[in-house]
Amino acid sequence: MRLKWLEDWFEKIEPKGKWSWLWSTYEAFHTFAFTPKTVTKSGSHIRDAVDMKRSIIIVVIALIPALLFGMWNIGYQTAMSTGADWHWLYMWWFGFLRMLPLIVVSYVVGLGIEFAFAQARHHEVNEGYLATGLLIPMIVPVTTPLWQVALAVAFAVIIGKEVFGGSGMNFLNPALVARAFLFFAYPTHMSGDKVWIANDLWGSDAIAGATPMGELAAGMHPSASALDMLIGTIPGSTCETSVIAIALGALLLLFTGIASWRIMLSVFLGGGLMGLLFNAIGYNEYMQLPFYYHFLMGGFAFGAVFMATDPVTAAQTNAGKWIYGLLIGAFAVLLRVCNPAYPEGMMLSILFMNCMAPLIDHCVVSRNIKRRERRIAR
Amino acid sequence: MKQEIKIKKGIDIPLGGIPERRVVDARSIDCYAVKPPDVVGFTPRLCVAEGDEVAAGQPLVVDKNDSRLFLPSPVSGKVEAIVRGEKRKLMEISLTSSPSQHEEESKGECFNLSSSSPVWWMIKERPFGTIANPDHKPKGIYISLRDTNPLAPDMDFALKGREHEFEAGVKALSLLAEVHCVKAEGPHPAGNIGTIVAALDPINKGEYVWSVNAQDVANIGRWCLTGEYRPERVITVGGPAAKAPKYYRVLCGACMQRISETQLNNPSYPSLADPTCSTRIISGSVLSGTQIAANGFLGMYDQQVTFIEEGDQYEFMGWLMPGLKKFSFSKTFLSGFARLLPIKNYPLPTEFNTNTHGSVRPFLFTGSFERVFPFDIYPLQLIKACIVGDVELQEKLGIYEVEPEDFALCEFIDPSKTEIQTIIREALEVLRKETIA
Repeated sequence: MRLKWLEDWFEKIEPKGKWSWLWSTYEAFHTFAFTPKTVTKSGSHIRDAVDMKRSIIIVVIALIPALLFGMWNIGYQTAMSTGADWHWLYMWWFGFLRMLPLIVVSYVVGLGIEFAFAQARHHEVNEGYLATGLLIPMIVPVTTPLWQVALAVAFAVIIGKEVFGGSGMNFLNPALVARAFLFFAYPTHMSGDKVWIANDLWGSDAIAGATPMGELAAGMHPSASALDMLIGTIPGSTCETSVIAIALGALLLLFTGIASWRIMLSVFLGGGLMGLLFNAIGYNEYMQLPFYYHFLMGGFAFGAVFMATDPVTAAQTNAGKWIYGLLIGAFAVLLRVCNPAYPEGMMLSILFMNCMAPLIDHCVVSRNIKRRERRIAR
Repeated sequence: MKQEIKIKKGIDIPLGGIPERRVVDARSIDCYAVKPPDVVGFTPRLCVAEGDEVAAGQPLVVDKNDSRLFLPSPVSGKVEAIVRGEKRKLMEISLTSSPSQHEEESKGECFNLSSSSPVWWMIKERPFGTIANPDHKPKGIYISLRDTNPLAPDMDFALKGREHEFEAGVKALSLLAEVHCVKAEGPHPAGNIGTIVAALDPINKGEYVWSVNAQDVANIGRWCLTGEYRPERVITVGGPAAKAPKYYRVLCGACMQRISETQLNNPSYPSLADPTCSTRIISGSVLSGTQIAANGFLGMYDQQVTFIEEGDQYEFMGWLMPGLKKFSFSKTFLSGFARLLPIKNYPLPTEFNTNTHGSVRPFLFTGSFERVFPFDIYPLQLIKACIVGDVELQEKLGIYEVEPEDFALCEFIDPSKTEIQTIIREALEVLRKETIA
C-alpha cells in the first residue's frame, strides 16, 4: 500500500540544518510509518522480507494471549477474594484498567530513555524495547507501585542495556533485570501473600492470596489444582499464570522461527529431569511434588517461552542452546525446592545462565576450532 | 573423478522469470570488454593502447604482481576504449570484434595447458578467489556440474554438444592435479564450489584448491584440442523484470545492450546513473552478482544475467502488513502460513525487488544462518571476527574455507540487513595481502 501524501509529508519535515540533531527521532517515526526505500548496493541484490521490526512485532503478538488472559485473571482474582459478583467482561475491564498504567509507564519511561540514548549517539532507535516494554508489566505483581515500575525500567534500560551499547550488545535480559531490581530493592512489594491480588481499581491495597509456590515454601501442598494452574486462574504475577495462553504464544514463536525451539524444549527437559530427581529423593512436600507442577507454577512457562529464548542473551550456538536451556530448567527447579526464600527461581536461573551463555558458546566454538586444528595436524 | 554430494541446508529462492530452454545464438554481438576488477587480486598493467588491433587470446593486461598471469582478448578486433574509474583504476577495456573472427582455422595440434595459455585465467584458486598461481600445488581441482544459483543455467543443457571438449578440458586439468567433477543435490548453495569443497575435503591453512566453471572446462578443452581461444558460454537471461527469459550463446565479456533491448520495456536508458532506471541488471546471480548498465558487459566469470525491479519505494507499515506475497525464510509473514494450507502447488510468493525491507541493525537473532550455511563453521562468529578484524580468530574459525558467495544466503535472510559478503570480502583481502607480503 502507498500513501503518497504521507510519504511527501515525511520527506518535507526531514530535520535539516539546525534541527538535524533530531534525526534519530525523526528516523524512528519515519521507519515506523514506512519501510524505508533503501535498496541493496552489492552482494545479495534481493533481501528477505523480514527485518528487526517484523521480528520484534511477532514477539509482541505472541505475548497478546497471555496479556489478555492476565487482564481477565486480575479481575477474576479480585472478584473471588472480595466475593463480588462480576461479569467476566467486567473482570477483564478491571484488569485492563489495572494493567494499562503499568504498560504506559513502562513504555513511556523505557522508550524515552531509548530515544534519548539514540539521539545522543546519533544512532537509529532500536525496536527491541517494544517487546521488553511489554514484558516488564507482565511479570510484576499487579499491586506494584508505578514509581517502582518506572525506576525498574530505567535501571533495566540504562544498566541492563545501554551501558553496553544498546540492543544486541547486552548480556542480561533487560526485562528480567527490571524484575530482579524490584525483587531485591523492594522485596516486600514483590513477595509474600499480600501483593498478588488487587483490592480495588485505583489503590495499591492488596488482598492476601497465596501463590502455589508461596504455599509450598510454607510447607503446605498447593491449594490450587493442576488444572487451575494450567488454565491460570491462580494468583501470581500479572500475565504469567496461564500456561495455555503462554503455549499459544509459544506456538507462534516456534512456527515463525523467531524463538529457538532448542531452548524452549531444553528448559522444560531440564526442569522435568530435575523435578524427577527430587521426586526420587522425596525428602519433603516440595520434593514430592509431581515434576510437571513445576511447569505450571510461577514463571516457569513464561520464562521458558519468552525470557530464556531472548536471542541476544541466550547462547548463540545450537549446541550451546541445549546446554543453556537444560541448565536454566534444572537450576530453576533446584532454586525453588532447595531455597524457598527465593520463590522465583526461574528469574534468577535465567539471569545466571545469561551470564554463563558466553562461556558455553566459547566452549562450543572451541570444539570447532580444535576440530579444525586436528584436521591440519593430520 | 565424478562424485556426488547431498546437501540439506539452504534455500531455493522462488525467483520469477525462469528462462525458457531455448538457446539464442548471440555470438554475432560485436562489442566486448575485459573487466580486470572482476578478477580478485589482479593488478592490471596495460599491454595495448586504444586503436590497437588484437587477436583473440592476445594479452590485454598483465598482472603487475605476477607477470605470467594475463587476461586475453576474447575476440579478434580493435581496442575501442580503455575506461578508467576513480583514482585512474582500470575498469574495462572494450573491443570491437572484426567480422572474420569465427572463421579462424583449427591449427590441428594439441596444446598443453600452462600459465602461458590464454585460458589459464579461467582457473580460480581458493582461498581468496584469485587466478590460480602456477607455483602452487593444489590439492584438487573442483568442477561443479550443477549451478544452484537462482535462475542459473542448467549445466547439462548448456554443455550439450560440447561433451568432447569438456572431456578434453578435464584431461588437460588432470595433468595439473586430481580433478573432481561434482554433481551436488539439494537446495542452493549445494552447487557452490565452497559447499562442495567443504563437504569433500575442506581447505586448511596453507592449502590451495582450484576450481573451473564447467563451461570454461569446455573452453579449455577446445583450446587444448585446436589452439583456438574462443571463450564461449551459454548464459541465462532471466529474472522477474525480464520480458522473454531465455538462454543465449555468447562469448565471454559480451556487451549486453542488444540483449537488454529485447528484455526491457524501456531500453532507452544506457547509464547506471540514470534516475529513471527502474530495472536493475545484474551480471551474475541475483545473490552475489554485480550491477551493470543496460549497455554494460557480461562479467568475466559470470554465466547468467538477472533483470530485477528496483525497490526504491516506501511501503506503509511494511513491518505490520500481512505480506501474502512477500518471501521470507522466517515464516513471519502470511506467505509462511500459507504453506500450511492443504493446497498443492500453492503459488509461492515471487515478488522480489532490490528493496532491503528494513534498516541496518546490530545482530540480534541467532540460529538462522546455520540453516542455510552447509559448512562446519560458525557463521555468526566468523562474521563478527571479520567485523572486528581479528585475523587470528578468523583463521581459527575457518576463513580459508569460504568466499563471499558462500555467505550470500546468510546475507539474504539476515533481519539485521548487514552487508555480510562485503565484510567477508574485505577480511579476505586483508588476509590475501598479508599472505603476499
